[in-house]
Amino acid sequence: MAALEEEERALLGEEEPPPERDAPPSRKPLSALCDPQRLAHRLVVLALMCFLGFGSYFCYDNPAALQTQVQGDMKVNTAQFMALYAWYSWPNVVLCFFGGFLIDRVFGIRWGTIIFSTFVCVGQLIFALGAVFNAFWLMEAGRFVFGIGGESLAVAQNTYAVSWFKGKELNLVFGLQLSMARIGSTVNMNIMGWVYSRIQDLLGSTGHTTLGIVLLIGGVTCIFSLLCALFLAYLDRRAEKILCKEQGKTGEVIKLTDVKDFSLSLWLIFIICVCYYVAIFPFIGLGKVFFIEKFKFSSQEASAINSIVYVISAPLSPVFGFLVDKFGRNISWVICSVVITLASHVMLAFTFWNPWIAMCLLGIAYSLLACALWPMVAFVVPEHQLGTAYGFMQSIQNLGLAVIAIAAGMILDSRGYLFLEIFFSACVCLSLIAVVMLYFVNLIRGGDLNWSAKRREKFQKLAEAEAERREKIRRQNEDDLAKLQPKSDFSLRNRYLSRLGAQLPDNYACPLPALAHRSVLK
Amino acid sequence: MLVERSCVFLLLLWLVGTLARDPVGYRRKVSLEYNPGLNISSVNLLHIRAVGNNDTIHYVWSTIGAPTALLVYTRSQNSTLHVNWTKLFSPAPSGAVHVEPTDSVLYSTAVIFSKVFEYNGANTSDLFKVPADQFYPTYNLANFTWESLGDKMNKTTLTATFRGAASGPEGTFGNGSISFQNSGEKLMQYGAGTSEKAPCGKDSSQNMVTAYEENSRDARLPRLLHTANCSKVNFVMSGVAPRGNHSRFALEIVTVEEREGRKQLESIRSIDDEYTPTIFEMAQLVSVPRNHSTTSSFLQWKTTAYSSQHAERADTIHCQYYPLQTTNCTVPRSSIAHAYFGEDLESHHAIAAINISFGSEDGEAYEEKRYLSWSALIGFGEPPKDTFSTLVIAILAVGLGTPVVLLVGGSIAAFVSRKKRYSEYEPIN
Repeated sequence: MAALEEEERALLGEEEPPPERDAPPSRKPLSALCDPQRLAHRLVVLALMCFLGFGSYFCYDNPAALQTQVQGDMKVNTAQFMALYAWYSWPNVVLCFFGGFLIDRVFGIRWGTIIFSTFVCVGQLIFALGAVFNAFWLMEAGRFVFGIGGESLAVAQNTYAVSWFKGKELNLVFGLQLSMARIGSTVNMNIMGWVYSRIQDLLGSTGHTTLGIVLLIGGVTCIFSLLCALFLAYLDRRAEKILCKEQGKTGEVIKLTDVKDFSLSLWLIFIICVCYYVAIFPFIGLGKVFFIEKFKFSSQEASAINSIVYVISAPLSPVFGFLVDKFGRNISWVICSVVITLASHVMLAFTFWNPWIAMCLLGIAYSLLACALWPMVAFVVPEHQLGTAYGFMQSIQNLGLAVIAIAAGMILDSRGYLFLEIFFSACVCLSLIAVVMLYFVNLIRGGDLNWSAKRREKFQKLAEAEAERREKIRRQNEDDLAKLQPKSDFSLRNRYLSRLGAQLPDNYACPLPALAHRSVLK
Repeated sequence: MLVERSCVFLLLLWLVGTLARDPVGYRRKVSLEYNPGLNISSVNLLHIRAVGNNDTIHYVWSTIGAPTALLVYTRSQNSTLHVNWTKLFSPAPSGAVHVEPTDSVLYSTAVIFSKVFEYNGANTSDLFKVPADQFYPTYNLANFTWESLGDKMNKTTLTATFRGAASGPEGTFGNGSISFQNSGEKLMQYGAGTSEKAPCGKDSSQNMVTAYEENSRDARLPRLLHTANCSKVNFVMSGVAPRGNHSRFALEIVTVEEREGRKQLESIRSIDDEYTPTIFEMAQLVSVPRNHSTTSSFLQWKTTAYSSQHAERADTIHCQYYPLQTTNCTVPRSSIAHAYFGEDLESHHAIAAINISFGSEDGEAYEEKRYLSWSALIGFGEPPKDTFSTLVIAILAVGLGTPVVLLVGGSIAAFVSRKKRYSEYEPIN
């Protein structure tokens, strides 16, 4: 990737003449890689977007990958160790929401991304220094700072994706981003232990210094992601100039009270999201002992099966993203995935069947849900609220995860795995209820959430035709009116200019009605 | 739709209600008797008498010789235990312990806790895979000095604690005995409790075993389910200084089954770990009934031990059992099993021995906390079986039922609304 990036930079460096201010993009031929309208360029942007989140996902799971080492070197018990995750989650309950808000209103997407990436880097640095200085509180503080950046960065990542790919490829792009995140987690899980042992060989001893150095090495991925953020910001700015496209957000003013305007469908999507994810992540967190005790797995086997969900979701996410793009019908996919998840939880709880079956199903369902659920938000929210909506979604997801992780630990200690599995099944059931309700709400209100891709396309064409027709009528009227009314200098000049084919300022172009927004978002 | 749902809830609650109802429990009146007919308290013999409607179960716990539990089932309410103390202390104690009237005795069995092994578990915790040179000298429980039971017996909570230390003068512990005698903390204890219908308002103390209601379960882990036909034994090792860095301990239990009977080891794997979190296996040693006889007994335990007095899930110590050995087993020479079953009981009765080891490869089992507690039930009849709690069934029913109800209700609502739309507006074409 680094090579690709360098190549990219070289390409840009040699061919850097700033495009003329108002020149339409078609007039200035650019090479495929540098033309923001061409696929090749967008692929580069996509790669950058994917690696944008790599660092934070890699470092997020550092504690899990080094659990025994952290507990041994820092001399902390499991509860304190889990606090590292809690410290990450808690600030996000609030900040995720503001993250979306800040992107929309304060920083803009580019600066927002850069700032959040910086937070991630600094957080990881503090985390590692905490280990170097043998101060656990400093490590916790590091996780806190890391948390401030982490989730907000994910919001920014999604917003970038929508801004660049709000055409057909959006689901695919979300899928790719997710698999990149999962690759980050998996690579981290498998590599950090090895890095630790190498550093241990190098230093000749274990101890908090070793741990600190290992964590600093892990932090390199964060710096890499920061570089991606900087470069992406540059490309986005450049595309804005060339294409006269807006920054990945809207200029419209949104209020904090936007939350009140969220539709019922959106709230249902939130419920699906929270109830679904709390049955996945805390389960994986507590799963290892489950496989050892119930299915008599060895420790390595248990680790393997516990990470299978991530491993499966990495390659499958883009595939499912593509499928969902191709066929539409998001709600049906979500129902499908929730039912499969429920089945696999029930399987794990009530049978002694080989758990690989259930876990693979879980992995498939998990990747399918991510591809079908997250893009749905874009259907039910006007574009200018997307950042806020996604932020809010992740925020309550974090709240759910933090609360349920604690609850799950307590349930496990007091009532065991069967009850825990039943609890998770109940959560998935709640999610199922929400998605069934969403289906009917959508059906009764005639929403387009569950349309097939074909129908969406047809509708889009219809809408375009309709818009064109209206535009024609409006022009006609205007012309008629113009004929009737004495012409002002202003209108005369405008008419003259438009006949010439000159670019008129935006506010003179016909503002497409809400339908256009809709068609843009599929 | 609301009405519909509440109906379903009622139905579910009723369903739950029927499942929750316990069968009518069996009530026994339990009394404790310490050293019946003897005034000295340097030896321990505890007689527990559990009288039912038309039968009596006698439990005799004793630390004369190896710690032994004797279970005698009689079909009479008036059967009594007789101990001939002079004979019991003589070299030939055969017949010193017996129950009268003799013809009322239907079944008897004995469980003897004979030895505690200590071995180096660094490479493997599997007792049978550990090379012989990794074993430390065995603790022979018969050689322990056991404290007097007198003040460690609670007649209301029906508990008794036998506490012994390996301070024997024989010096059979090799090098380990020196450190042991210096520390003076090496203690082994085992406690016995028995169940009966508890009198109303009895609070349960934090003692090892408290008087339970029948068909209830212990408050503390592993929360074994017990009936009126069983008593619980708690094997506790506390403060014993391990003789190596990776010491694991194992307990040897010998059982005596009357005449033609034999013991059988069963493993019950259950999906239900709600009473003993993360433990999915129950092991039990049941007696296979003789021809046209329904009398049987059991020794039942969960495959877990705990490393703390206030056991929590985090204190779980993995507990492994090994195949039952039925040949070449001997009962420790001095044990009240000999006094009850006769001198040459190996040739007349079925003997079986089983080993149970504590601790797995990863993690220190004992060193850190120096506490280990393992519980088992000894009882007459069929071993108790765990069932799902009502809460589980309720959550399950509501959780799975609601989406279905919603799906049906929603379909109807959608169907109706669509039909209405079509009936009110005629299609234009």
